[in-house]
Amino acid sequence: MSPRTCWHCGGVAATDPICPSCGKVQPPPAAGTQPDRFATLGFAPSFDEPPGLDDKFRALSRKLHPDRFARATPQERRYSLEQTTLLNEAYRTLKDPVRRAEHLLALRGIKGDPKMSAEFLEQTMEDREKLMEAKASGEPLDDLAKGVRERRDQTLHRVRALVENGSDLEQAAELLARMRYYARYLDEVEGRSVEL
Amino acid sequence: MPALFQISEPGDARTKEACTTGAVGIDLGTTNSLIAIVLGDGKPHALSADEGSSLLPSVVHYGAGGGPGSVVVGRSARRLAAEFPRDTIVSVKRFMGRSSADPETRRLSPYRFAEGESGVVRFVVDGARVVNPVEVSAEILRALRNRAEERLGIKVHQAVITVPAYFDDGQRQATKEAGRLAGLEVLRLLNEPTAAALAYGLDKRSKGMFAVYDLGGGTFDISILQLQEGVFEVKAVGGDSALGGDDFDRALAEILLEGRERTPHSVREAIDAAKQAKEDLTRVEVTTAMGRRITRAQLEAAIWPLIEKTGGPSRRALRDAGVPGGKGLDGVILVGGSTRVPAVRRYVQELFGLQPLADIDPDEVVALGAAVQADLLTAESPQHDVLLLDVTPLSLGLETMGGLAEKLILRNTTIPARATQEFTTFADAQTGMDIHVLQGERELVADNRSLAKFTLSGIPPLPAGLARVAVTFQVDADGILSVTAREQLTGVSQTITVKPSHGLTDEEIERMLLASIEHAEEDVQARLLIDNRVEAQRILKATEKQLETNGDLLSGDERGQIEAQIAAVRRAAQGNDHHAIHAEVEKLDQVSADFAKRVMDRGIERALKGHSVGEFDQGELSPHAKKAYSALQEAEEPVK
Repeated sequence: MSPRTCWHCGGVAATDPICPSCGKVQPPPAAGTQPDRFATLGFAPSFDEPPGLDDKFRALSRKLHPDRFARATPQERRYSLEQTTLLNEAYRTLKDPVRRAEHLLALRGIKGDPKMSAEFLEQTMEDREKLMEAKASGEPLDDLAKGVRERRDQTLHRVRALVENGSDLEQAAELLARMRYYARYLDEVEGRSVEL
Repeated sequence: MPALFQISEPGDARTKEACTTGAVGIDLGTTNSLIAIVLGDGKPHALSADEGSSLLPSVVHYGAGGGPGSVVVGRSARRLAAEFPRDTIVSVKRFMGRSSADPETRRLSPYRFAEGESGVVRFVVDGARVVNPVEVSAEILRALRNRAEERLGIKVHQAVITVPAYFDDGQRQATKEAGRLAGLEVLRLLNEPTAAALAYGLDKRSKGMFAVYDLGGGTFDISILQLQEGVFEVKAVGGDSALGGDDFDRALAEILLEGRERTPHSVREAIDAAKQAKEDLTRVEVTTAMGRRITRAQLEAAIWPLIEKTGGPSRRALRDAGVPGGKGLDGVILVGGSTRVPAVRRYVQELFGLQPLADIDPDEVVALGAAVQADLLTAESPQHDVLLLDVTPLSLGLETMGGLAEKLILRNTTIPARATQEFTTFADAQTGMDIHVLQGERELVADNRSLAKFTLSGIPPLPAGLARVAVTFQVDADGILSVTAREQLTGVSQTITVKPSHGLTDEEIERMLLASIEHAEEDVQARLLIDNRVEAQRILKATEKQLETNGDLLSGDERGQIEAQIAAVRRAAQGNDHHAIHAEVEKLDQVSADFAKRVMDRGIERALKGHSVGEFDQGELSPHAKKAYSALQEAEEPVK
């Protein structure tokens, strides 16, 4: 990629959202380029939440947010809106373990919906049935939720191992897709207690 | 020399250069509206907006004659509500951005509705005149703006207006239109609870996780915020845009109406009596309304189910914010007049397990926070270096096959936010694609709010599934959505800023804007007349009250002179010449000047201290701010 120049001072702005030489907000990277959410916040890709993520997010928000550009030109206001949108998206991705892992795999070229294993789908149906039964009979859902929560945590550990030694990323993607199922299941269980 | 009416409402003490930018914060409330500004002292101040109070009742009366200026706003309008229930619009906020078919608009209310082309709510007032909620709200904003300009002696054209966090896109659009119609540049729509937190955070330099429980006249909002390192991050919001103190009044009014005939008059009367009784019962255990004895326990029994409706959204917001059950919460802030009801406070304490904070007047706190945000957005060097990060209150999505709603942006996503989803054609040679934009949490399209429908045409005729259309949602910092649909092969694209399906069409907005410009001069004349009449009424009342209570200070001659002038003012006020009214009022001022002085000497000064602009030490102020402060303080009137 050729180095970008600042629209305002013509200096080399690299990919910084703010030009290092004149301090003007820069347009976001061209559409279609693979976004690196880690880089947006100034981190190297990692499976775990980068240390200091919240602080970095707040510091960048303070520089880029549209509120800081209420008196600026329409062009700068547009850049600020787009940069902040990207920043928010990046933060949301990095803050959540599953989204973060998915993004990590995407950066390594693993995309699209993986094919789920038959064994897992079977387990899913079984869990659903148990949940329906428990709901119908009014018995507490705590034990069911506890089991699913344990399997979710184990799954994430396996994903970490696979990603870290880089052996079978396809399988990592399949395991990761299971996380969505666990999340939905737990939402449903917890949702009930919240509505009460 | 003080004049009598200055005891209750001073004339034109004004503050030039009272602030740096003239950008105000406005709380456009269901029951009351307020306007506030950050002054040279760096603090937000609520300006007195109606008969000496900072609260301007959100009531608009459309008077006889039908002229574009025959509109009265505030307490004067509220006094007319009982006599003209259909021509006096109360709590218009409940109708903002709603269709006439909406169950919310069909509830107990005395109004006549007219069908509009686009299904938007329209009130028929003063015989045949038709006004919509945006126009009614614009009258309230205009009144606030005029009164602030009078107070400050500067032009006000920029504002931050607050909205309930739970307002959907249509309601936000409608609010923005009302601002535009009132001649204001709306710098930002700010969520009310966020504004309240801003007012608190600045005072307390807080750090931690806070809940803002905001129960106003017509809406309930719950927000969970984290305050850290000068950044206010909204973690979760929830609420009910059709629940508030008005519902308490209605519940009680139902009891008062038992066994009585329901007419627009009796309904209005019952609602007013219920409101009064509710307010009384915050202080006493028993009161009477429409000849009935009402106890606090009776009121609480009637409204408890309504109060409990705030529990669900609150628990959900706590969970969404990662503090389920309120564990880890550092404080609960109360906002909105309805949080004065003791039963509400009890419920909040139980719900969150914390003693709620209410140090700042719950009626003023939102406007004060909005003023701070207006200052942050416009000042060269704002008084406070903080940043607000807000979220989407409701999920945004699209209709997919089978009438299902697919969410693109989930609720509680930090804004600005964007999401893109690709769709393919489902028929061979399909050249158009319908895009149906939805807001809400439900799975079925029919259960969500429809925000907009449009068609992307010009897709190249290809076999099914080959043409790909990317739909992008962008939510800006006001929480307003724009949607772009783009066909990937040809680059055909179409963008719309989402307008509510039941909102106003562009033509209607255009017409309203044109009408407000055309009638500007007429409006000014009519308004001057009304203002002078209202002023005359107020002075008459004040003078007569003083004659009654302090009449012993006058000789027979003096009394005769004042009484003759009172009659002259009253005659002038019946005419249409605002100059004449003004002149007679001035004369009354002169003939009663000595009397006023004697009344003052009797100890009225004490009352003047009752309502001060602020509690801060003037020693901290710059000379410029000091001047502004003292002028403003002079301009404030005592609390009655």
